[in-house]
Amino acid sequence: MKALLISDQEYLTNTYQELNDLTGKFFKQKGYEIEMIELKGENVTFCMGCFGCWIKKPGECIINDGMSQINRRVMNSDVVIYLSSIIFGQFSPTIKNVIDRGLPNMLPFFEKRPDGSTMHPPRYDTYPSQIIIGYGDDISNEDKQLFIDVTKKHRRSIEVLIYQEPFENTIQALNSIELGRVGGLL
Amino acid sequence: MKNIVLVSASPKINEQSVSKEFLEMAGNQINSDLYSKTLIDVRKSFLTHNLAEDFETLAQADVMIISFPLYYFCLPGMLTRFLVDYQNYYTAPGNIKKHVKVYAIVNCGFPEPEINLEAVRVIKSFSQHINAEFRFGVLIGGGPMMVAAKEAPFMKKAVQKLNSAFTSITADIQDEISTTMDSIYIGVNFPFSRHLYYFMGGRGWITMARKNGLKIKELYKKPYRINE
Repeated sequence: MKALLISDQEYLTNTYQELNDLTGKFFKQKGYEIEMIELKGENVTFCMGCFGCWIKKPGECIINDGMSQINRRVMNSDVVIYLSSIIFGQFSPTIKNVIDRGLPNMLPFFEKRPDGSTMHPPRYDTYPSQIIIGYGDDISNEDKQLFIDVTKKHRRSIEVLIYQEPFENTIQALNSIELGRVGGLL
Repeated sequence: MKNIVLVSASPKINEQSVSKEFLEMAGNQINSDLYSKTLIDVRKSFLTHNLAEDFETLAQADVMIISFPLYYFCLPGMLTRFLVDYQNYYTAPGNIKKHVKVYAIVNCGFPEPEINLEAVRVIKSFSQHINAEFRFGVLIGGGPMMVAAKEAPFMKKAVQKLNSAFTSITADIQDEISTTMDSIYIGVNFPFSRHLYYFMGGRGWITMARKNGLKIKELYKKPYRINE
């Protein structure tokens, strides 16, 4: 079993270091082989909305940087954990680039979800379970709630945690998450 | 004279930008005799390494109107980077802070305008981080279709709603006393079923892929998990 830990080297706070150590240890104890992707801003540029990944080279981003390799590793992991600093209640710019550029892993079409809203269908039958962990110093409650809502209100099969002291809370939360490959419905 | 800075934040290149179109509609309602208007194209700003100059322009703003497409239920990474870097620039010691009003115009391809709400909340949070006053957002569903079919009779109502929302921004800019304003939601009133909207959207992708020499089944390729 493979766990892929994606982190952003732009926000190397003490909290980040604790969280990174804790997460790595947790998955190692669960028997996972850990792979790390430690990103810097210049590694992954932003999605340009060209839709080349849907209509030119389906399933692959046509921008020639490290992202194709990241998407391949994401799709072939059992669990993917994103460690993101909480910025304006959202992800850090580099983590957001990685999320935006996950678009090749979805299909372009529209489908209706059980709640009546519209969504793109998955490209693959199964996906890794995904966990986003937000961290930061002096984050307001409003921003923490927004960080959760940004993902949980719109996506299924993905978990969001806010890292906070004491770290036992995060371990407990991680323990309650079902791990392993899941369906890809957004 | 008040400075109004219109921030267009579509990451697209060499293509018509829906976000810019909405921003221009909003900007056209603002009287040029009373206000100075400047447009910042974030994509161009990155391409031409013009960030420092654009941050300087933005720091002079009394009003910011930020228009962008929804990317994965939130801000595009490009705009996130721009706002983070701007916050670092603006909050650095020595910069003169002004009272700024901020508005957001967010559009998505999904027909439901509500999907844009969290992106508007992020702009609100950004505003709080730079001590600006977030006023309200205009949330637009089916944005690309609204622009493509704006002359069609069935789109009349939606276009009227857009114009009315942008009039509300203009009026709010003029108001010296801020009263609470709710965000405005605008979707397309389809003359046909949602199922047909989905179907037409799907045909659009297939047509574009075919133009690129692809067969329909190739759209479903699974390059990273060949055995599925």
